[in-house]
Formats: sequence, C-alpha cells, structure tokens
Amino acid sequence: MEGMEQWRNEAKQWLQQGIEYAHQIPPTQLYAAAAVLLLTTLFFLIIRLFKRTKSSTIVLTGLTGSGKTVLFYQLRDGSSHQGTVTSMEPNEGTFILHSESSKKGKIKPVHLVDVPGHSRLRPKLDEFLPQAAGIVFVVDALEFLPNLRGVSEYLYDILTKASVVKRKVPVLICCNKADKVTAHSKEFIRKQLEKEIDKLRVSRSGISEADVANEFTLGIPGEAFSFSHCSNKVTIAESSGLTGEISQVEQFIREHVRP
Amino acid sequence: MLEQLLIFTRGGLILWTCKELGNALKGSPIDTLIRSCLLEERSGAASYNYDAPGAAYTLKWTFHNDLGLVFVAVYQRILHLLYVDELLAMAKREFSEIYDPKRMNYNDFDETFRQLRKEAEARAEELKKSKHVGKPVNDGKKQGQVKKGGFEVGNKKKSEANDGGDGDTGKSYKLENGHSNGNHVNIEGSRAVVANSKENASSNVGAFDVSKLQKLRSKGEKKTDTVVNKGSKVHPKKKITKKNRVWDDSPQESKLDFTDPLEENVNENIEVVGTDHGESMMDKEEIISSDSEDESEEVGKESKPDTKKKGWFSSMFQSIAGKANLEKSDLEPALKALKDRLMTKNVAEEIAEKLCESVAASLEGKKQASFTRISSTVQAAMEEALVRILTPRRSIDILRDVHAAKEQRKPYVVVFVGVNGVGKSTNLAKVAYWLLQHEISVMMAACDTFRSGAVEQLRTHARRLQIPIFEKGYEKDPAIVAKEAIQEAACNGSDVVLVDTAGRMQDNEPLMRALSKLVYLNNPDLVLFVGEALVGNDAVDQLSKFNQKLADLSTSPNPRLIDGILLTKFDTIDDKVGAALSMVYISGAPVMFVGCGQSYTDLKKLNVKSIVKTLLK
Repeated sequence: MEGMEQWRNEAKQWLQQGIEYAHQIPPTQLYAAAAVLLLTTLFFLIIRLFKRTKSSTIVLTGLTGSGKTVLFYQLRDGSSHQGTVTSMEPNEGTFILHSESSKKGKIKPVHLVDVPGHSRLRPKLDEFLPQAAGIVFVVDALEFLPNLRGVSEYLYDILTKASVVKRKVPVLICCNKADKVTAHSKEFIRKQLEKEIDKLRVSRSGISEADVANEFTLGIPGEAFSFSHCSNKVTIAESSGLTGEISQVEQFIREHVRP
Repeated sequence: MLEQLLIFTRGGLILWTCKELGNALKGSPIDTLIRSCLLEERSGAASYNYDAPGAAYTLKWTFHNDLGLVFVAVYQRILHLLYVDELLAMAKREFSEIYDPKRMNYNDFDETFRQLRKEAEARAEELKKSKHVGKPVNDGKKQGQVKKGGFEVGNKKKSEANDGGDGDTGKSYKLENGHSNGNHVNIEGSRAVVANSKENASSNVGAFDVSKLQKLRSKGEKKTDTVVNKGSKVHPKKKITKKNRVWDDSPQESKLDFTDPLEENVNENIEVVGTDHGESMMDKEEIISSDSEDESEEVGKESKPDTKKKGWFSSMFQSIAGKANLEKSDLEPALKALKDRLMTKNVAEEIAEKLCESVAASLEGKKQASFTRISSTVQAAMEEALVRILTPRRSIDILRDVHAAKEQRKPYVVVFVGVNGVGKSTNLAKVAYWLLQHEISVMMAACDTFRSGAVEQLRTHARRLQIPIFEKGYEKDPAIVAKEAIQEAACNGSDVVLVDTAGRMQDNEPLMRALSKLVYLNNPDLVLFVGEALVGNDAVDQLSKFNQKLADLSTSPNPRLIDGILLTKFDTIDDKVGAALSMVYISGAPVMFVGCGQSYTDLKKLNVKSIVKTLLK
C-alpha cells in the first residue's frame, strides 16, 4: 500500500512539473511544433495512398501443365533447372528479373506469384488477385485444342472477376511452348478463344443473376466477342519457357511495374 | 531395382534426381501421383500404383513439411523392395541438412545418396536372408501367397471388410491389369481400389530375384485367363427368366403388365394445367453468413476443458514460444477430436480416418507458428483439405455441355442411377423443370420398368411440365427402351433426354449387370448417381460398388463410371452434412445438384464453403 502511495505521489509531481514546463514555452512555438507534426503525418499518408495503388505484383496463372512454373524460374534465374512437376503450392518471389540483373542503376524488384493451375487449387488465385498489377495467363499452345474449353472457361472466370474488372488489371495471354513445331500461332489461339468466350457468354448469361462467381458480363451484347471489348487491356504474346524466349513477357512486366 | 528417386518442392521445382538410375520413366507417374493422390487428400496411403503402356510402377513418398519438400521413389510394381521406406526416410534426413532455399543445384547429394542406397540394399539383403533361413518350410506356401501378394491391391481388398465377394475383387483387379497394357492410366477404375489399399502385403513377402519374376508373370497370365473364363461361364447361367414373386397363397397373376395401349389417348384429353412454380433454387443466390472465424475460435476454446490443466498450460506456453516441430503424438489428440466431430456430422468412419491421416501427413514436422494452438493449426489444415476435396475437379456447367451437344446435333443423355428409394424420379422431374426454365427442350425416358406405378409417375410429371415422355410400359428391357428413347429424341429434336432407372441394391449382381448393360449400350453423356444425404457409412459401400460394377461388367475397354452425384433429401438433415463429403471422397465425382425439398423448385447447387463450415462447427 505504501509503495502505491509513493508511486502515486511521484506521478503527481511529474505531472505538475510537466504542466509548468508546458506553460513556460511561448505559445507560438507550441503551435509551430504541432503544425509540423500534423503536416508530416499528412504527407506520409498521402505518399502511402499513392504507393498503394501501384503494387508490383504480377500473377502467373493458367491451366495445369501450361508451363507457369518453368516461366517463373526462367524469369527469376534464367533457366528452369532440372524440370518441374505439377505445383501443389504457389511459388512467390520478389526479385529483379534475370535479364535485367546486368543492368546498372536502381531497378525495382518485381513480386511474381505463380499460382497452381490444378482445378482443385483454384481458390488460391483469389488470394493474390486483389494485389495484382498485371496478370500473365499462360496457355499451352501445343495442346491447345483438347483443352480449349477449360482454357476459355478459366479465362472467362478471370476476366469477369470483380477485382479484375474494377481495377482494370491488364492481362497478357501468353502462348507458351511456341518453340515446338506443332504449336499453334497466337492469332489462331486468339480467334479460338474469342469464339469460345462468345459461346460462354451466352450460356453463362442465362444464369448470370444467380451465378455468384461471375459478377460481370463480358463484351457488348449482340456483337461477337473480341478482346478489345474488355475494359482492361488484353494482349497476346508468344513465349517458350524451355528455351528461354521470354522477352515479350518481360516487356509486359516492365511496362506494368513502374521502376 | 529402384527406377527413380526425385526430390521436389511443393511449388513444383525438381531439386534433385538420381543420375545413376538414368532410365526415363514411361508416362508421367509423378504428375499423376500429385493429381490423383496428393491433391485428393489421400497422402495418408502407403503407396500409389501407376499403370502406363509398357510399365507398371509403384510410387512411395514422404514429405518434409517444414521445408516444403516432397521425396518420391518409383519402382516396378512386381518388385517388392523392402528398403524403400527406409531409404526415403534417410534421404529426407540427409537432404534436409544440405537444403538451402536459394540453392537450385544439389549434385553433391549424388554421393550421399549412393551410399545410402548401398546401406539400405545391404540391410534388406540381410533381412531377406534371415527370413529365408528362418522359414524354409513356408516357402511353398509363400509361392502361393506370392501369386496373390504380387497383386497387392487384390489382397488388400480382401482384408477390407467393406467389399464382399472374393471372386469379384480378385477379378476386378485382374481385369484392370489386363487392360493396363492397352490403356492409359485408368484412374477412375483404380480410385476405388487405391483408396482401400494398405501396404500389408509387401511386408509379408520377401524381395526376390528376376527368375522368380518371370515365373510369376506367367502364372499371372494364366490366372487372368481362368478368371475371364469364369466370367463368361457365369453369363449363360444367369439367363433364367424372372419368376413372379408369390407372397402368400394367393392365385398367381397371369400378367403384370398393366399398360393399356388404349388408355394413353384418354390421358391426353384430360385438361392440363401448365405448371409454373417460380424460379428453381438452382438460380437463386446463396446468402452466406460471414461470421465463421469467430465460431471456430469459440469451438477451439470449448475443447480446451477436455485436456488436463497441466496440458493446457504447457500448450499455451508452447504456443507463445512457438514449439520447434509438430510431432505425430502432438497431432494425435487434436486429430482424434476432429475425427469424432466429423463422425458426429455423419461422415463415414473410413473416410474420416483417411482424411485425418492425410492431414497428419501434411502437418508432421512442420514448424508451429507462434501464438497458435495445435488445434487451430490442425483445424486450418483440415478446412483447406475439405475445401480441396469438395471443389470440383472439372467444370460442372451442365448448360454448357448441353449447348455443346446441341451443336453436334445429338441429344444430351443423362442417366439417373441409385439404390431404392433415394428420390430418383422426383429429382429427375426437378432437373427437367430447371432445364425447361433455361429454354432447353427435355424428354423423359421411363426405363424403370419394374416398380409398379413408376411409368405413371413419370407420365404425370411429364404432363405437368408439358414435356414429351418415352415409355414402353413394364416388363421390358430398360436398355432397349433407353436406346429407342434416344433415337426418338434425335428425331423430334429434344436437347436433353433424362433416363429414369429402377432402384437397385449395390450387391444385387443381376440388376447391376443390367444397369451396366444400359450404360454400355447407350453411352450417356452423364451418369448421375442419386444418393440421399441421410445415408451414413453405407454411402462408401454404395458408391464404390456401383463404380466397381460399372467398370467390371462393362464389356468396353473404357468403362463409363459415375460422373456426378445428386444429393437428395438435404432438407431433412439439419447439419449432418457428412454424406456429401463421403460420397465425393470415395468416388471423386463432383456434386452437381442438391435436392432440398419435394417440389419442382427445390434443387440447388452445392455451396462448398457452407458445407465445410457446417462440418467443422
């Protein structure tokens, strides 16, 4: 009890001293100090607001077996090492692209995420989409036609998600395995995808009021769907993960991640 | 010997393969292992069998959950290598010491691995020698056992109480093996088989050398031949025509076929009131409540009083400090509690057990994050596993499939199968109603020619919904009726044909054969298994037997299996939703519809998140 009393008395004394000190300072100084404090906090808040809109996350997605993990390691290390198997978890990394590592000067590292394409792991994509500054949708140009429906459904799902439409996230459709002889060209792939998505629009819009997953519809009703109808920018490119021909992907990344 | 040993990360990058064992693997066993086993929450199983043209492998694996690494060993199925488990464990230990996330190249591990392999092989040799010395008498018996043991899965099936019918199970495996040479991976057929496998047989049988191998292979061929002959012999025996059942001493009925060809015209004249019951619940949004996290925390706290006070205190202390690694013994109590909770929610016991094993395999050795209790880590892992299982592996957009079939100018055929009294006819009408609302023309086919009143029931539904129905009355062959119905649909331009079949128990051989014939003859686009949500442990038996019989008794090389599940009577269970989980786990087929009432609009989609929440509440 005595200890408490003593402690209370000491606290009172300190308080009184503090008040006396405060009274001593001329009021202008006080106001100036407060104003500076306020200004600096406001400044930091504004900077943070601006910074938040420009995230540097690029999401690599696509069907299983299209070559996302190979692309990830090519972008990071310049080689795909000893090969890959079906991913069970996302690969994440913040790094400077391998081809840019020789450049001088300050380059902002890119946060790259490789999301598994297996249909059971689809929900993982929703974790990363809100922070995405760009999406690279990898398509297997070799086994394109057998997987056409799966590819177009997945692409349709991504293009109609709220987080993608509202923030107008740019999408790059990357036709991977282009080094193989029987791989389809990007023009062919583009046309096929547009046709399939057109059909999907019709069948999905029949249940659009109820389908919780598709929150927006694509394109202009009545006209054949084309990627130019999307509010976010959709481009198409070719690449080859195994041989390292990934220049178009790197260009896309550099464009959308401000250095 | 060992074909290959791989080490890869959970993210998919291969870190190391053994360069000495240079043979390339035929097919893609690793990818298949990941897709059909590890991602299907069967990682608690001891091994996985993979068939590719020209090779039959067995794969064994182990995880290092802390570093996120997977170690997989592949070897020929015919060899029973004892040392694989040991080798994997040793490799795991050695590799985790040199592992560095930044490093991609581990060539120095080659030397270490070579030594490990020599050690393991030497140890296995010693064990084999000591076994042979100790039991020379049993050698003859072993030969006989080896014949069966060589087909491990058949053996394991016998030990499982669920599957009766010795000859059947042996036959199923043999048929599958015979097919493997001309087939790609028969995942669907083997799933039911793999799910029940436990590596009991391999421990009984010693490793043996190549000369015995060849003898075994020739013996195996003979056995398949005898079994196939047995199968064909059974056929002519079963062609007994069905005698009408007599319940008591009443005089025998002369004819049970009451279809009166004159009556059909009369029915058309009766006034029909077109039914419009409003929007089917398939098209209504589900309102999901979002206060799930708080509930799970509360439940966690409730389970605390169960453990002793000392245990609680130490676990709290450890949770703050962040204990080093999770051991199996730590996970045991939490997993047991979780398993009991799942079983109170009507999940089949076997399924709950397997799930818990799989979750344990994925958590063992993981570093526990600070400020988390073991029970919450286990709960989170289980939740993720459940979401993964219930998320459909392929798209279940039926409307899209119907449109695709429409383009090809052929009707989309759906066959409803199931045991007695689950609600096939009622739910068939609900599906027809839903399809009608999306401007798709539907036709019903009354292939339930056994149950009294089944055809009239469908006729009534068809009248109310104003859709055509194809019927041929009673006592007719359902397969033929279905074939004619599909032809009729192609003629009059119906988009979808819904085929109703009679309910049958999964053990009833002749009825299952008839069903298999129907499926084989008509090759439907969708085989929908109708199961009621009230079923308990029997769900596992029903689905696995249905799949098995459809695979066995079908005469085509690619048998059709169950493609989707329709869960009925969902409104009668309050929160005991476990049947959905059991059915999806055992068959791998997604739940396409859920019947939640007895009127036309009571049909909805499965809401994965709400089911998982209810299961873990």
